[in-house]
Amino acid sequence: MIYLDHAATTPLDPAVLQAMLPWLQGRFGNPASDHAWGQAARAAVERARSQVAALLGAQPEEIIWTSGATEANNLAIKGALEFRGLRGAHMVTARTEHKSVVDSVRQLESQGLRVTWLKPDAQGLITAEQVLAALTPDTALVSLMWVNNETGGINPVEALAPLLRERGILFHVDAVQAAGKLPIDLSRTPADLLSLSAHKLYGPQGIGALFVRKRPRARLSPQLHGGGHEQGMRSGTLPTHQIAGFGEACRIAGERMAEEGARLSALRDRLQQLLQAALPGLHLNGHPQSRAPGILNLSFEGVEGESLRASLGDLAVSSGSACSSATREPSYVLRALGRDDELAGASLRFSLGRGTTPAEVDQAAARVIGAVGSLRRIAGSGTAALVSPPLNAHGYAAPVWAAFSDPRHAATLPEGAIAASAGSPAGALRLRLQAELDGRRIVRAAWQAYGCPVTLAVGEWLAGWLEGRSAGELQLSAADLRAALEIGDDKAQCALLGEDAVLALERQMSLA
Amino acid sequence: MPTYLDHNATTRVDPRVLEAMLPYLSGPYGNASSLHRYGRAARDAVEQARAQVAQLINAQPGEILWTSGGTESNNLALKGTTDRVAPTRLLYGVTEHPAVMEAAESLKERGWQVEPVAVNADGLVDWPAFERQLGAGPVRLVALMRANNETGVIQDIGRAAALVHAAGAWLHVDAVQAAGKIPVDFDALQADLMSLSSHKIYGPKGIGALAVKSHVELTPLHHGGAQERGLRGGTENVASIVGFGVAAELALQELEARAHHVLALRRPLEQGLREIPGIRIFGESAERLPNTVQFALAGYDGEALLMQLDRKGFAVSSGSACASGLGEPSHVLIGMGLDRDTAKGAIRVSLGQDNKPAEIEQFLVALRGFVSA
Repeated sequence: MIYLDHAATTPLDPAVLQAMLPWLQGRFGNPASDHAWGQAARAAVERARSQVAALLGAQPEEIIWTSGATEANNLAIKGALEFRGLRGAHMVTARTEHKSVVDSVRQLESQGLRVTWLKPDAQGLITAEQVLAALTPDTALVSLMWVNNETGGINPVEALAPLLRERGILFHVDAVQAAGKLPIDLSRTPADLLSLSAHKLYGPQGIGALFVRKRPRARLSPQLHGGGHEQGMRSGTLPTHQIAGFGEACRIAGERMAEEGARLSALRDRLQQLLQAALPGLHLNGHPQSRAPGILNLSFEGVEGESLRASLGDLAVSSGSACSSATREPSYVLRALGRDDELAGASLRFSLGRGTTPAEVDQAAARVIGAVGSLRRIAGSGTAALVSPPLNAHGYAAPVWAAFSDPRHAATLPEGAIAASAGSPAGALRLRLQAELDGRRIVRAAWQAYGCPVTLAVGEWLAGWLEGRSAGELQLSAADLRAALEIGDDKAQCALLGEDAVLALERQMSLA
Repeated sequence: MPTYLDHNATTRVDPRVLEAMLPYLSGPYGNASSLHRYGRAARDAVEQARAQVAQLINAQPGEILWTSGGTESNNLALKGTTDRVAPTRLLYGVTEHPAVMEAAESLKERGWQVEPVAVNADGLVDWPAFERQLGAGPVRLVALMRANNETGVIQDIGRAAALVHAAGAWLHVDAVQAAGKIPVDFDALQADLMSLSSHKIYGPKGIGALAVKSHVELTPLHHGGAQERGLRGGTENVASIVGFGVAAELALQELEARAHHVLALRRPLEQGLREIPGIRIFGESAERLPNTVQFALAGYDGEALLMQLDRKGFAVSSGSACASGLGEPSHVLIGMGLDRDTAKGAIRVSLGQDNKPAEIEQFLVALRGFVSA
């Protein structure tokens, strides 16, 4: 497996695991307990607090532990606005923020908060001028991410922070993708609240932090009550092992940032060059210069997104944010950049990390180049070789996978063959069948298609089914297709497409 | 390190639990929400753990939501059921954990009438008063704990549930201390919501669960992401979830043996305590968790006694670890009608699987030493 999905989650650094283990073994005290067991755990928690603070140029007492960045973003936004009072309040944020920011803000919007949702420019960035223009006398908070998780684009947080400070407006920064990758110095960048996550920088899942500035003091209403931990801002027993791991991860990140950033930028550029040299019709989603090392997001013209992902086998990349992958909707961030549904859907985010090697980058590029070329040829554009997808990594039903991974009938037939097409109303799926006749009998069938793997499997399966049949023997319903290929309800439209194509072919044969 | 007699504060991670966690810490990683293969392996592990945790309390896997721990579970239960409805009343037991108490009190700002439910001197619900309270107007939610973290007193949740439901309200049960120590049956107790925590049952810290019956309308605390059916955003903490699952499975398997082990230690402990003049055991005549005993020595300040015990090598607590260092008497004991001085003298011993008879003897020797000194 080639893992190029480090923006979703990173493997635990072995040194981080070593830092965690003592607290999972003998030294298990509750950091809130007064006795020696508790004191030992508390000392580990405070050491980690200093390590996290050091990465940010912050003071240890400005770090509040949370269960992750989602909680940190929720606490920052809801906590700041509830403390101020929602009545009459206005805030500014962007459509390209992480879902946890977007959903927290929407929640408050439904309770009466007025919100300006900024649209990014074509490179996915928000400008300082845009933010300033959106401010009103009632603006209480601006929330803007430092680095976008999908495009890697860097927003002008450093330029914006002093401008908002001058105006007395609270500034929250989601720095989940920036921390450990870009230098952050909160002693010079006067942001008030800043969210972090451990598992994006080789620390454990389930732990994050919110920086809450002491001078001038950012005030929050707590979101989790009970016990008064974390200066009353966030109650709950502290997970010592997670915190110790987060601290160590930050220490390592600080140590390696410069060297690792340069290495990952070079690898990322290499990946981009390899792909662009081999494939026309590529669109960079993001800013060519102002971007964090390691993230590359591209849209591929003329291929359908799901088939592209299915063709990549055990190359782990992301298509949009993992947090919304389950919904399979085209990335709202890419839509905000102005990509249409098709190009947003046919996007891949490569995120390189500490363990990524040049050889892996080359293999990944070759895999993508092969898959895109093959799918374009199947869709009727280009002459690249057909490549069999290596591995059913997404759990397609066996008959679908068998047909999709061995598209031996994907071709165009010489002139004189009968052709018929079917498509979905929105044009998201297209299937073209061709048949070479000997009298009334089909001696050779072929197909081309644009669509998801099930669509392509329907094409391949139909071509095999057609061969040897005569006009009058072409009765095949969508239900038959669904049974033969084990197509579920969610893909029923692919079977209907097949039925339509067969009907259309039969009509053409009767005309011939 | 001193002898650890504070298992209601936290427990060590069982080596079998750690072993189950390690592959998810050092091996196949992946965000459980990602679609690729490693993400799916993580998701399968998360679902297996969900079934294990469900089984511990005889719930359905689909009723289990992951949280960052008992505090979040309790906050989610109270705030999540009161968010999108016109405020009425919310009742909570006067001896509840601070996470319930303070979450409840925070709802006053949103217009809720928040009232404590009184208990008697043993820490048990004062049933006639409770019935009158329920009848005094509409109630949205009642929060009562299955077993108290300080005294170990076990509440008759089944009886409460019948009354609560008859009043048209939902019942939230904080089972953080009870689960894994006594049988807890989400279904049979007729609870609508129930909080659980991993680190009280030899699992890792930083992971908990809220069991929610399907008829309960819950709004999330943490917005963002479709995890946990949209009810709890955030990347799943896979290793900790897996650890919690195994801890729950072991707790269920070994429930009787564990209870037997700690009871065999508590009996001589209580016997020895009773021989000390001026001792008072709280909730003594109530049914209690097998591992817990909370007591006070007349004329002794709890903080001073804790420090002396610490010097002699015993790690015990005055009550909730969360409230440590505040110098305030236990709200649990005040709620049971004790005076402040007696309450300030409280010491909680909570036993665990590693404790040995010799440690109990030594503890009693140390305690007698202070009294006779």
